[in-house]
Amino acid sequence: MKRVIRSFLRYLARRKSLAILQLLGIAFGVAAAVGMTLASRSALDSMENAVDFLRGGSTHTIKRPAGPMEEGLLQKIVDDPSIKFFAPVIDRKVRLASGGEVRLLGLDPFLDKNVRSITTQIASAANSAGREKILQSFLLDPRTVIIDENVARAGNIAAGQDLMTMQGPLKVVQVFSNPSGEPLVIMDIGNAQEFFRMAGHIDRADLVVNDEEGLRQRWSRGFIIESNQQKAQTLSALLGAFKLNLQALSLLALFVGIFLIYNTAMFTVVSRRRDAGILLSIGASRGQVTLAFLVEVLLFGITGGALGGIMGYFLSKFLVQIVGGTISTLYFFLRPSALPWTFWNIAGGILLGSAASIVGSLPPLLELRRIQPVQVLRGRTASRRAGRRTKIVGLAGLFCLALALVLFLLSFLNVYIGFAGAFAFLLGASLFSGFVIIIAVPFLKRLFSSVIGLTGKIAIGNIRENLGRTSVAVAAFMIALSMSIGLASMIDSFRHSLIWWMNGQLRGEAYISTKADVTVPEEVYDELKKIPGIGGIDVFRNVQITFRDRPAGITSIDSAVLQKYARFGWLSGSDRAWEDVKRGDVIISESFSLRFKVKAGDRITIDTAQGPSTLRIAGVYYDYASEHGVIMMDRSLYLKLFNDRTINSLGIFIDGPELEKGRILDKARQLSLKYGLPFATREQFHRRILGIFDSTFAVTQSMRIIAVIVAFFGIAGALMTLFVERQKEFGIYRALGFTTGDVAKITIAESIGLGLISFFMSTVVGTIFAFILIRVINRQSFNWTIFYHLTPQPYLVTFLTAIAASIAACAYPVWSVIRKYPIMQIREE
Amino acid sequence: MGGWFYVKICCFIVFLVIVPGLCAGEWKQADGERRWSFPADHGSHGEYRTEWWYFTGNLGDASGKKYGYQLTFFRHSLRERPRDPNNPWSVRDVYLAHYAITDASNNTFHYTDRASRKGPGLAGADAHKMNVNVLGWSAAMDKNTIRLKAYFEGMELKLDLTPQKPPVLHGRHGLSKKGPLPGQASYYYSFTDLKTTGYLKRPGMKNQVAVTGTSWFDQEFGSNQLSGDQAGWDWFALHLSDGRDLMIYKLRKKDGSIEKESAGTLVEPDGTSRQINLSGIEMTVLAYWKSQKTGGRYPAGWRIRIPSAGVDVTVKPLVANQELANTVSAGITYWEGAVDGAGTSNGKSIKAQGYVELTGYAGTIGGTF
Repeated sequence: MKRVIRSFLRYLARRKSLAILQLLGIAFGVAAAVGMTLASRSALDSMENAVDFLRGGSTHTIKRPAGPMEEGLLQKIVDDPSIKFFAPVIDRKVRLASGGEVRLLGLDPFLDKNVRSITTQIASAANSAGREKILQSFLLDPRTVIIDENVARAGNIAAGQDLMTMQGPLKVVQVFSNPSGEPLVIMDIGNAQEFFRMAGHIDRADLVVNDEEGLRQRWSRGFIIESNQQKAQTLSALLGAFKLNLQALSLLALFVGIFLIYNTAMFTVVSRRRDAGILLSIGASRGQVTLAFLVEVLLFGITGGALGGIMGYFLSKFLVQIVGGTISTLYFFLRPSALPWTFWNIAGGILLGSAASIVGSLPPLLELRRIQPVQVLRGRTASRRAGRRTKIVGLAGLFCLALALVLFLLSFLNVYIGFAGAFAFLLGASLFSGFVIIIAVPFLKRLFSSVIGLTGKIAIGNIRENLGRTSVAVAAFMIALSMSIGLASMIDSFRHSLIWWMNGQLRGEAYISTKADVTVPEEVYDELKKIPGIGGIDVFRNVQITFRDRPAGITSIDSAVLQKYARFGWLSGSDRAWEDVKRGDVIISESFSLRFKVKAGDRITIDTAQGPSTLRIAGVYYDYASEHGVIMMDRSLYLKLFNDRTINSLGIFIDGPELEKGRILDKARQLSLKYGLPFATREQFHRRILGIFDSTFAVTQSMRIIAVIVAFFGIAGALMTLFVERQKEFGIYRALGFTTGDVAKITIAESIGLGLISFFMSTVVGTIFAFILIRVINRQSFNWTIFYHLTPQPYLVTFLTAIAASIAACAYPVWSVIRKYPIMQIREE
Repeated sequence: MGGWFYVKICCFIVFLVIVPGLCAGEWKQADGERRWSFPADHGSHGEYRTEWWYFTGNLGDASGKKYGYQLTFFRHSLRERPRDPNNPWSVRDVYLAHYAITDASNNTFHYTDRASRKGPGLAGADAHKMNVNVLGWSAAMDKNTIRLKAYFEGMELKLDLTPQKPPVLHGRHGLSKKGPLPGQASYYYSFTDLKTTGYLKRPGMKNQVAVTGTSWFDQEFGSNQLSGDQAGWDWFALHLSDGRDLMIYKLRKKDGSIEKESAGTLVEPDGTSRQINLSGIEMTVLAYWKSQKTGGRYPAGWRIRIPSAGVDVTVKPLVANQELANTVSAGITYWEGAVDGAGTSNGKSIKAQGYVELTGYAGTIGGTF
C-alpha cells in the first residue's frame, strides 16, 4: 500500500511546476473565501467595540424624535427617580480645514464622569500645576478642546497647538487615548453650544437607569428613549443591507473558491489516470489506487488550504480597510482592525481546502473505479463517453436553472433565498459548459482554420476531444468572468441610475454645506435670502428616526421651491403631489414604500415632539439617498411637528442669465466662507456623490479583481494539466511533420479557443447575473430600483482578461514544448 | 468647620487650587467684623470664593434604632463672573454635595456625592435666603423650617429642621481664625440645636422610617485657604443632654503640633455662647480604628474636658467605619461620623451625641482626580 502511495507522490516531484500551480489554485480559492469572511466579520466585530467605548456605563439615551432637545428638560431628568445618572451630550461633526470631518462631542465633565471615562482623562497625565491649567482652560476658555490620539496623529498636532477647522482654530490643551479608534474632539458642553450656535439646546442625554418601565411611562410623549440594546439594533439595522452585501460577497468568494479547488482537484486526478492504469495493470488493487489518489488529493487540499488560510488572513487585512472606509462614508465612523491571527485561520483553510478537494476528486475517482487499465493505457485519454455525459450534466444544469427560477420567484420571502437562487443559477449555467463547447466548436474550427489554418483546426478539435476536461476548465473560467461582468454591469447600471436621480432631484445651482452632519446656522439662510436674483432656496434638513422599530429618515424641504425647480422621478403620483405636500401631506421614497409596505394614499403615524402624528402619503418617488427609506415633508410641517430649526444644507436656485448666475454664486460663496461652511456648485456636488458611490463599491471591485485572479489560476492550472497530460500528442505532431512552432501554435490556439468559449458564455451568463443582482439581490436588500444600463466596458475588460489569461496560461506549456518536445517525445514514440 | 476640608476637595474637583491667583478676580476676604443679617445671611455670599452649608444629625426611630446623617453643600467660585452670563453652562461656581447615612442598628454606613456647575437649573444657591441645591439634593429654609431632601439609590432623606436656639456666631463675632495670617479666616455661624423630624431610608430597607432627633448646621464662607503646613484637623459638634452644645476644632500641623488658632464654642441652653481657646480644651484619644480600605488609622474614642465650663465627656463612634473614600473626589478620604457617649456637665451626669470629622489620616490630600 505504502509503495502505491509513494509511487504516486513521486510523481509530484517530477512535475514540480504543475504541482505548484495546483497548490496555488487551491490556496487562492481558500484565500478568497477566508479573506472575505474574515474581513466582514472583523468589520462587524469592531462596530460593537466602538459603540461600547462611547457608551461607557450608560444604559439608555433620551432625545427628541428629531433635532436637538431643550436643555431645560435636564431639570426634569434630575428629578426623575428612575434615573441614577445622566450626562448631557452634544454630538456633532466639525469640518477640518485640511478636509474631512471629525466628531466633536460637547460634554460636561462633572456629569459625564458618572457615565463614561473620557472626561476623567482630562489632565490625568500632566503634573499638578499643568493639570490645573489644562482643566481650567478646558472649562473656562471658549474653543478649547482635548483631542484623541487619532486626530492628533492625523493632523500632527500636539497639546498647545491649534486644530484648524472650517469654523476657525480650536485650542488643543491635551491629547487623550481612545481605544475605539474613532477620531474624537471633546469640548466643554457650554463652549460646544456656543461653537455650534445652539444656545439652550443639547442633542441628547445619556442615562444610567434603574427602572426602565417607569422612565418610559413618564417620557412617553415627544421623546425617544433608546436602550443600549435598541441602539445596537438600530446600528445593526442601519448596516443591514451593507452586511448582506458583505455576506453575499463572502459567499461568492466561497463559491468561486470552491469551484476553483474542485476544478484543481479534478485535474489532479484526471492527469494521473495513466499512472493509475499502470499501477492497476501491475497488480495494485482498485482500493489501493483510490486510496493513493485520496492521499494525494488530501495532501494538496491540506497544504493548499493551510497556505490559503494564511494568504486569506493577509487578504482580510487589506479588505477590512476598504470595508471600514465604506461604512464610515455611508453610515457611521468605523475603523475596523483585522481580527488577530489565530490557528483557526489555518484550520479553517485546511478544512475548506480538503473538503472541496475531495468533492472535486469524487467524479474522476468514481470513473476510475469503472475503467479498464488497458483502456487507460491505450494512449488517448479522452473519453468517448464524454458526449453522452455532457447531456446528463446538461440536464442537471437545466434542473439547477429551474430551481434558480423558483428561488427567484420566492425571493420576496427572504433575501437569502435570492442568494441561493443566484448560486443555483451560476451552478446551473456552469453545467452547460460541455454543451456550449459542442455547439461552439464547429464555428471556432471554421474561424481558427481560416486564420491560422490546419493547426487552428486541430487545436479546436482538441477542445472537443477532451470535453471531459475542457468543459470543467471552461465552467470555472466562465464563472469567474461572469462574476466580473455581472458585478461591473450592476455597478455601472447603478451609477447611471444615480446620475439620472441626481439630475432630477439635485438641480440647485449650488449647495451650502452638503454633509448632513454639519449644520447651517439660520442666519446664513436669512442672509442668503437677501441676495437679489436668487429664485429659490431649498432649506434641507435630514434626521434619522425610528419608524416601526426600524431606522428611517425624515427630510424636510421647501416644497414650493422643489415644485418649481426639481424633477422628481415618480413611482406613483406626479408633480401634482407637491400641492399636497404644501398642504401638509408627505411623499415617501421607494425604499420606504417597499420596506414598510405603504403606498400613495396610505396614512402613516410617526412619533413627533408633539406626540404621535398621522400623515397622508401623496406620492412615492425614486430615491437612492438612503436604503432605509425617507419621509419627505415641507419645512413648515416639520417645524410644527418637531420644533427643530436645524438646517443641514441650503440649495440655491437661480433663474437669471448665466452672467448674473456667476455674480450671485460668488456672493453665496463668500457668505458660506464667512460662516466656515462648505460650498459646492452643482457639478462639484454631483461629483462628490459619485465619488462616495465609487468608494462604496470598492469592496465589490476588489472582489471582482479577486475573481479575475482566481479565474487566471483556474484556467492556467486546467490548461497546463491538459497539456502535460497530452505530452505524447505533441510528439506525434512532430513525427507527423509539424514544426515546434506549429505545436506551440496549436497549444496557444487551443488555449485562446477555451478562453473565447468561456468569454462568450460569460457574456450571456454575466448579463443575466447582473440582472439577478439588480432585480433580486439589490432590490431585496436595498429596496430600490436600479435601471439596467448596457455599457460595453465590462465586456471589453472581461474579453481582454480572458484572452490575456489564456495566453499567460499556456506560456509555460508552450515554453516547455519548444524546449523539450523535439527530442524527448519522438524518442518515446 | 468641616467645610474647610471641602475647599480642598472641591479644588480637586474643579482642578484648581492651592496656587492662589490662578483664577483671575478679586474676592472679598474674611478679615473684619461682619454685620450679620438673618435670614438673608443663610443665602449665598457670591462675593466670597468658597462657601458651604453643612448639616449633620443624630436621629432615632420609634423602635429606638439610632441613625446619623450628613448632607453638605459646597460652592466654589472659579471666576468672578461667568464668561457668557447668558449661557447657564458658562462656569462661575461649582457646586458639590456629600451625603451619608449611618445605621447603628446594623452597623452600616452609606455615602455618595455629586458635583455640578449651575447649568440650566442643575445646581445653585439663592443669594438672600437658604435655598441650595445640587442635582436634586436640596436644603431650603421656609419661614423657620429648613427642609432637607436627598435621594440616591435606596438612600432617601426628607427632613424638617427647626432651630431651637438663635444662630451662634463663632470666633470673634463670626470671624473664625484658621491661621496666623490675615485672611486665614472665615465667617462662621451655626444652628447648633435643630429639632429634626422626617423620614429616612438606607439601602436594604424596604420602606422609609419616621425619625426624630437633633441636627447641627454650619454655614461658613471666605476666600482664602488654609496654610500649607497644616496636615488635617479634628472637628467635634456635640449635643449634651442638659441642653448645652459644644463645638471644637483642632488644626493639626505637619510637624505634629496643634495650630494655635484652634478653638471651640460652648452654647448654653438659652442660646448664649462663648469661645473657648485651645488652652482651655483637654482631649485624650482613647482608641483607634484602622481602615481596611485606605489603611488610614483614625482616632476612635475621646475624652474631652473643658474645665472652665465643667464639661467632661467621653464619646465614641456609633459605627467604626464611617470613612468616605473614593468619592467623586477620588483620592480624597476622610472620616465623618455620628458619635455618642456620656459624661458630666456642671457636675451632673449627661449623655452626649453628635458628629466628628477627621481629616488627613489616610495620606495627605493629594492624588489624581
